[in-house]
Amino acid sequence: MFPADLYLLMPELALAGMAIIVILADLVLKRRDLLAPLSLIGLAVPVALSIVLWLKLDSIDPHALSGFSGFFVVDYFSLFFKFLILGATALVIMASRESVTRFSRFQGEYYALIMMASGGMMLMAAATELVSIYVALELSALSTVALIALLKNSRSIEASMKFLILSAISSAVMLYGMALVFGLTGSTRLLDIADRLTSVSELIDQPALLLGVIFIITGFGFKISSVPFQMWVPDVYEGAPTPVAAYLSVASKAAGFAVIIRVFFLAFGSLTDEWALLFAVLAAVSMFIGNLVAIAQKNIKRMLGYSTIAHAGFIMVGLAAIGREGELLGPGVESILFYLVAYAATNLGAFIAVIAISSKINSELIDDYAGVARRNPFLAFALAVSLVSLMGLPPTAGFWAKLNVFNAAIETDLVWLALIGMINSVISAYFYLRVIKTMYLSPPASEERITADLPLKAALAIAVIGLLFIGIVPGFVMDVVETAVGTLA
Amino acid sequence: MLADYGYIGIYLLLATLIPVSMLLIPWALSFVGVKPHNPTPVKLETYESGMRTIGGSWIRFNFRYYYFALLFVIFDVEVVFLFPWAVYLDKLKLFGLIEMGIFILILMVGYAYAWRKKALEWS
Repeated sequence: MFPADLYLLMPELALAGMAIIVILADLVLKRRDLLAPLSLIGLAVPVALSIVLWLKLDSIDPHALSGFSGFFVVDYFSLFFKFLILGATALVIMASRESVTRFSRFQGEYYALIMMASGGMMLMAAATELVSIYVALELSALSTVALIALLKNSRSIEASMKFLILSAISSAVMLYGMALVFGLTGSTRLLDIADRLTSVSELIDQPALLLGVIFIITGFGFKISSVPFQMWVPDVYEGAPTPVAAYLSVASKAAGFAVIIRVFFLAFGSLTDEWALLFAVLAAVSMFIGNLVAIAQKNIKRMLGYSTIAHAGFIMVGLAAIGREGELLGPGVESILFYLVAYAATNLGAFIAVIAISSKINSELIDDYAGVARRNPFLAFALAVSLVSLMGLPPTAGFWAKLNVFNAAIETDLVWLALIGMINSVISAYFYLRVIKTMYLSPPASEERITADLPLKAALAIAVIGLLFIGIVPGFVMDVVETAVGTLA
Repeated sequence: MLADYGYIGIYLLLATLIPVSMLLIPWALSFVGVKPHNPTPVKLETYESGMRTIGGSWIRFNFRYYYFALLFVIFDVEVVFLFPWAVYLDKLKLFGLIEMGIFILILMVGYAYAWRKKALEWS
């Protein structure tokens, strides 16, 4: 019984409570347009509680509060991810008002489910025990399955079914891996696993342990959409409602990397030689497959889907760079966290612009984006800046993100991986620039202006200002990232 | 460690041998003439001593049964939790009472949702 520890879970509990309130409001209220503001206010509660916990951390030493017999921890690292996930969720909700009206019957469900998925992801970032991690992962995955199907057309349901089946398979394999690790070390708590691995030296040479680690990578690899678990990404992004795809690409990926960093650092820190090489190879393959296949895409959502696979590869370069350190926390982890913030602002910017444009021109084909710059200069500019940031050119957030990751790789003697990353950045410029070229240089199909509602424009402006701000003053985010990583061990 | 797997191997061997031998022994005995062979319609039924079968199993059934199954599971799980909770309530005290209250409240939201969304109506 841990009633005294419950306050550590306050942000997650508040979010779950608000999700239930949104469901009830949907049942009672006649006015559906109140649901979005209600959800946004609902998100403010966990944000406020997370700030309270952050301030509390400042006053204690060491800066971490562990609860529920070590199943759950509140530290700067987990709070950092909670802010990131909540921020991404808020932007997605702001941008989805118009898309939500298409779910005619399921508006309250959309907001409630997206909040529950966020709750699961916040738990993922804070769980320090394998079974809790699994439960948190499933909470976010199952909510996402329902979210993907909300359009209720055949493509959306097919995407949802694919996601459900693949997510179930990867979870099963991951659970098998967790069982193997538990069998060998006798604990599911990350710190106990690390203790056993360092104190009992013959454990390290067990092939079953390596198998367990690889199986666990399967489950997390699915979440971050890394090769070879990327098959679902393009289909799901194409079939799902666009805001859901945006949400998946940013929040799900951030939570996935949070959990990978925690598990692989805290639990398998003594196995770095094995998994670092694995992540390096996965990173290289993800970058190549994502970027090369993206070139052939005609649908902008599919293109962004392959682009997200490629970016999972770029971020994994940071994971590989950790392993070669010898010491636990190096520039690699910091570069990952920085990349995730930059990627969140960038990719949300791109997706929100796509939500606005595609819903008005009723097409997701890149060719139909012709002349959008003349039909709405702001949307076209926002999309262009976001794509430039995805390419990794200054003065945007993407530039510093990639620079940090490649820097970490070079510092840890992974020059070949940094080179592959740079080659891939050049490849990616081709398909990102093609969209910009279509928007600005091709003649528009009609002169009719593309309009967007105010909350969406505000969300888009926040994302674009965010990515430009990080691009021009990267020091601010870098400081926060250093604080977050500082308390990890 | 490896020797322990040996026991699993022996178990697997036995588990395979027993059913196979149960099929083989009557088959072998039928050559000697010990095994009688006089089938009757009752003996050849799908469930020899069970209910009389009605129709085939490849029939359509109403999709909406699934809603009821789902609601049943919700309350089934609730009861499964209520029994051990009731036994230990004197030790859990007020905290246990509040916790179960929250749990039931969450389930009730699910029930209210199904009700309002007309999942219970058969039309």
